[in-house]
Amino acid sequence: MTPFWAVVKRELWTVIRDRTIIIAVLIQFFIASFSSGLFLGMLQLYDVDTILRYSGGAIRIGVVNTTEGPLATFITNHGMTVVLFETLQEAEAGFHNGEAVAIIDAPQEIDDITELRIYMPDSATISSIVRMVIQEPLKEYENYLRVEKGVDIRYTDLQGEPSISFEFVYSVLLPLLMFFPAFVAGSLAIDALTEEFENNTMETLLSAPLTVHGMINAKVFSVVILAVTQCGLWLTLLKLNGIVIQNTIWVFLLATIVSGITSMLAALAAVLLQDRERSQFIFALMLLTAIAVSNLLNASPITTLSRLAIGDYYTNGWAVAIFAVFLVSLYLLLPKISRRLMA
Amino acid sequence: MNKVFVIAWREVSRVRKQFGSRTSAFVALAFLIVLGISAFALWSTLSLGSGLYQIGVSGDVPPIRDSRFVVIDVDVEQGKILLGQQRIDLLVDGSQVISRPDSRSQYAVRALKQYMEKAELERVGNTYPESDAFPLRARINYVGAGQSMEPTEAGGATQQGTRPEETIIPSLTPPPLPFGQVIIALLYILPMTFISIFFTSSFMDEKINRRLTILLSAPVTPFQIILGKMLPYVIFTLAAIAFIAVQTQANVLLTLAIFLPTTLFIFAIYLMVPLFYRTFKDVTFIAMLVTTLTTAYLVLPAVFIDVTDLSFVSPLTLAVKMYRGELFTLREYLFPSLPMAAIFGFSMYAGTHLLNEEFLIGYKPISQKIANAIYLLMSHTKLYISVPLWSVLVIPAVYMAQIIVLAFAADLPLGMTLGVALFASAFVEELVKSIGIVMLMDHGKIETSRQVLWYAFLSVVGFFVGEKLLVLISLTVVLQASISSVLFGTGLLLFVPLIAHFIFTALVTTLRMKTRLSYTAILTIGSMVHFLYNWYLLGGLR
Repeated sequence: MTPFWAVVKRELWTVIRDRTIIIAVLIQFFIASFSSGLFLGMLQLYDVDTILRYSGGAIRIGVVNTTEGPLATFITNHGMTVVLFETLQEAEAGFHNGEAVAIIDAPQEIDDITELRIYMPDSATISSIVRMVIQEPLKEYENYLRVEKGVDIRYTDLQGEPSISFEFVYSVLLPLLMFFPAFVAGSLAIDALTEEFENNTMETLLSAPLTVHGMINAKVFSVVILAVTQCGLWLTLLKLNGIVIQNTIWVFLLATIVSGITSMLAALAAVLLQDRERSQFIFALMLLTAIAVSNLLNASPITTLSRLAIGDYYTNGWAVAIFAVFLVSLYLLLPKISRRLMA
Repeated sequence: MNKVFVIAWREVSRVRKQFGSRTSAFVALAFLIVLGISAFALWSTLSLGSGLYQIGVSGDVPPIRDSRFVVIDVDVEQGKILLGQQRIDLLVDGSQVISRPDSRSQYAVRALKQYMEKAELERVGNTYPESDAFPLRARINYVGAGQSMEPTEAGGATQQGTRPEETIIPSLTPPPLPFGQVIIALLYILPMTFISIFFTSSFMDEKINRRLTILLSAPVTPFQIILGKMLPYVIFTLAAIAFIAVQTQANVLLTLAIFLPTTLFIFAIYLMVPLFYRTFKDVTFIAMLVTTLTTAYLVLPAVFIDVTDLSFVSPLTLAVKMYRGELFTLREYLFPSLPMAAIFGFSMYAGTHLLNEEFLIGYKPISQKIANAIYLLMSHTKLYISVPLWSVLVIPAVYMAQIIVLAFAADLPLGMTLGVALFASAFVEELVKSIGIVMLMDHGKIETSRQVLWYAFLSVVGFFVGEKLLVLISLTVVLQASISSVLFGTGLLLFVPLIAHFIFTALVTTLRMKTRLSYTAILTIGSMVHFLYNWYLLGGLR
C-alpha cells in the first residue's frame, strides 16, 4: 500500500472509529429539519396565501355602505367573507359582538384623495393578521382608483402561484445540504493538519516515505470522501421525499468540486498559520469572501446548484466546469506554497 | 476573588498576543474587506431563490433588476417557441405576460408580480402628480373591547389605552411583519455563540501546551481558573448584547436580564467541550452540534409565540415581547431562565471536579470519558447523597432535552409526533436515573441487589423532587399543553408515578446486574415499559 493510501485510511478510520461522522450527519439532519420547521412555521402562521387558503372564509370583514366602488368585491375575491352594514353604528355593534373582525367605513373623497377608515381590534396578533389579508384588496382598490383617474398602470392582473416553497427548497434547503458537508470538510482538513503541527507529530509523519504534498493531498482527499458520501446520502433522501432534482449527476459533481475547493482552501490556511484557532478563523473569512466574490462575479455555486436542480435549460455541465478549473488551479498552487513554508 | 481577576487579565493578554504581532494587521484588513464585500453582495444580490426563473422579454418592458430572474431578450414569436419548449418560464411582451399553466411558470408569474408591483409604483410615482399616483389613504384605528369607534375631538385619535391612529397608503406601506421581531431577537444569539467558541479554543490551547497543568499546580482552585478564564468572554458577550440593545432601541437593563441566563447557559455548554475532547475533530463536531441544538432550542419556540405558551421555553420569546412593548410576568421570565441558570451551575460544579490532569489527558472514546466523568462526580461524596443529588441536578438538562425532542418531533407526521416524543423522553429519563447507579456498579461501588434497589429508590426520589420543583415554577405557564403535562408529570397523585418510576429504574439497574445485555438494550427495554405507562396515562391504550 502506498503511503498516500495509508494516510487516507488512517484519517477515515479515526473519524469512523470515534463515530464523529454520525454527529456530523445528525447535525445536518437537525439543521435541515430545523430550517424546514422554522420555514413551515413561518409559512403556516405568517403567510397570507396560506392563511387565506385554509381559513379565509372565517375572516369576516365588515363593510359600511358601499353603494359606490368595488372594494367589497375585491375582498370577496380573495376568499374572505364580507358582512355589509348600513351605518357605522350598526357596524360597531357587529364588531363588538363578533360578527366582523374588522370594519371598513365607506370611502370619502377629500381634496381629490379617497379616504378610508379601518377599525381593527386592539390585539397585536389579530390586527397584524387582518392587516396582512386586506393588503391585497386595498392595493387592488387603489389600482382601480388610479385607472379611474386616467393613470396607466400595468401588470396589475398577474396572479400566479405562491412561490416561496419552491424557492425555499431549491435555493435554501438543497444548497444547504449539498454545501454544508463541504464546509465541514474544510474544518476537518484544518483539524487533521494542525493536530500534527500542535502535537509535534508532523516531523515524524514526514520521516515516513511521504512528501509534504502527498501528505496534504491524502488528508484533503479523505475529508472530501466524507463530504461526498454525505452529499450522496442527502440526494437519495431528498429524492425519496419526492423532491425532483434534475441533472443529479452534475449536482453531485458540483458538490464534490466545491468540497474539494473548501478543503484545499482550508489546507492552505492550516499550512500557513499552523495553529487551529487562527486557521479556522481565517478559513471562515475565506469562505465568506468566496461567497461574496462569486456572487459579484455572477458565478455563485449556490445559484448554479439550484438552477441545475430545477433543470434550467441554459445551465449545464459547462457551469460546473468553471468550478473545476478553479479546483485544479488550487491543486497546482497548494504544493508550491506548502513546500516553501515547510522547508 | 483577586486570583480570578489575575487569571482573567492573563486571559486577555493571551488573546492579544495570539492575534497580535504579525497577523493582526493582515487579519484586521482582511476582516474589514470581507465584511464590506459581503455586506454589499448580500444586500444587492443574495436573496431567496436567486437565479431560479428564466424569463424572456420583448418590447417596452421596465428593466428587471432582481437576482431571482435571469432575463433574455427575444422577439415575440421566438419567445413563444422558447416558452413552449420550457426553455423560459414566462414571456413578457410589452404590458402583457404570457405563461404556461404548469407550476414552475406560475411560480415565476407570482415572483414577477411582486417585482413589477414595485417597479410600476416607482414609474407611476415619477410620472403623475401625487394625488393621481396615490389616490387612496387608509386611516387605521385600533378599538379595544367595549370602546367606541366614534373619533374624539382630538383629530381622530381614539380613547386612551389604545394605539394611536395610523394613516397608510396601501401600496407603499407593507403590513407589519410579525416575524420581524423574532429576527431582531435572533441577532443576540450571534455574539453569544461566536465569543464562546473563542473561550473553548483558549481552554484547548492551554490544554495542548500543558500550561493548564502548570496552572493547576499553582495555589488557585479549579473553580477560580474556570471563572477567571470565562470572565473576559462573558463580559465581552454582555457588552455585545448591550450594544445590540442600544442599536435596536431596546431597554438595555431588561435585555441584559433576559439574555444573561442564556449567555451563562451557552458558556456552560462550551465549558464541557475542552474537558471532553480528544482530537481537534471532536471539537469541530461537538461545537457544531452544540451550536445547532442551542440555536434550534432558542429560535424554534419563539416562532410560535402567540400560538402556544410553550414558546416561553425560549428567552427569545421574552425579547420579542419586549420589542413589541408588551409586558411579561416574573413567572414567564423564570420559566426559560431558571433551567438555564441551573445548567450553568451544574456545569461549573462538574467542571471544577473534572479539571484535573488525569481526566484531561486521558484518551478514551467519548462515551467512556463521559461515563468516567459521571463516576468521578458521584464517588466524590457519600453515595446516599450523591445519587439523589445527581437526579435533582440533571433535571434541567432532561427538561431541555425533552423540549428539543418535542420541537423536532413536531416535524414528523402528526400520528408519529406523540409516539416519538413520548418514547424519546422516556429514554432520556431512564438514562439519567440509571446511569449513575450503573457507573457505580461498574466500578464495584454497588454490589448487592439490595443496594441496587435502595439506590434506585433514592435516585427516583431525587428525580421526583427536582421535577416537582420545576413544575411548581412552570405549572401555570405550560398548563394547557396536554403532552407537556405527561412529560413533566403534573399529576396530582404523587404516589402512583413515584412507584411507577421506581419500577422502571429498578428494572433497568437489576437487568444490568443480573444479565449480560448491553446497557443500550436494557435502556430500550426500560424506556419501552415507561413509554407504555405514559401512553396509558394519555388514554392511548383505552
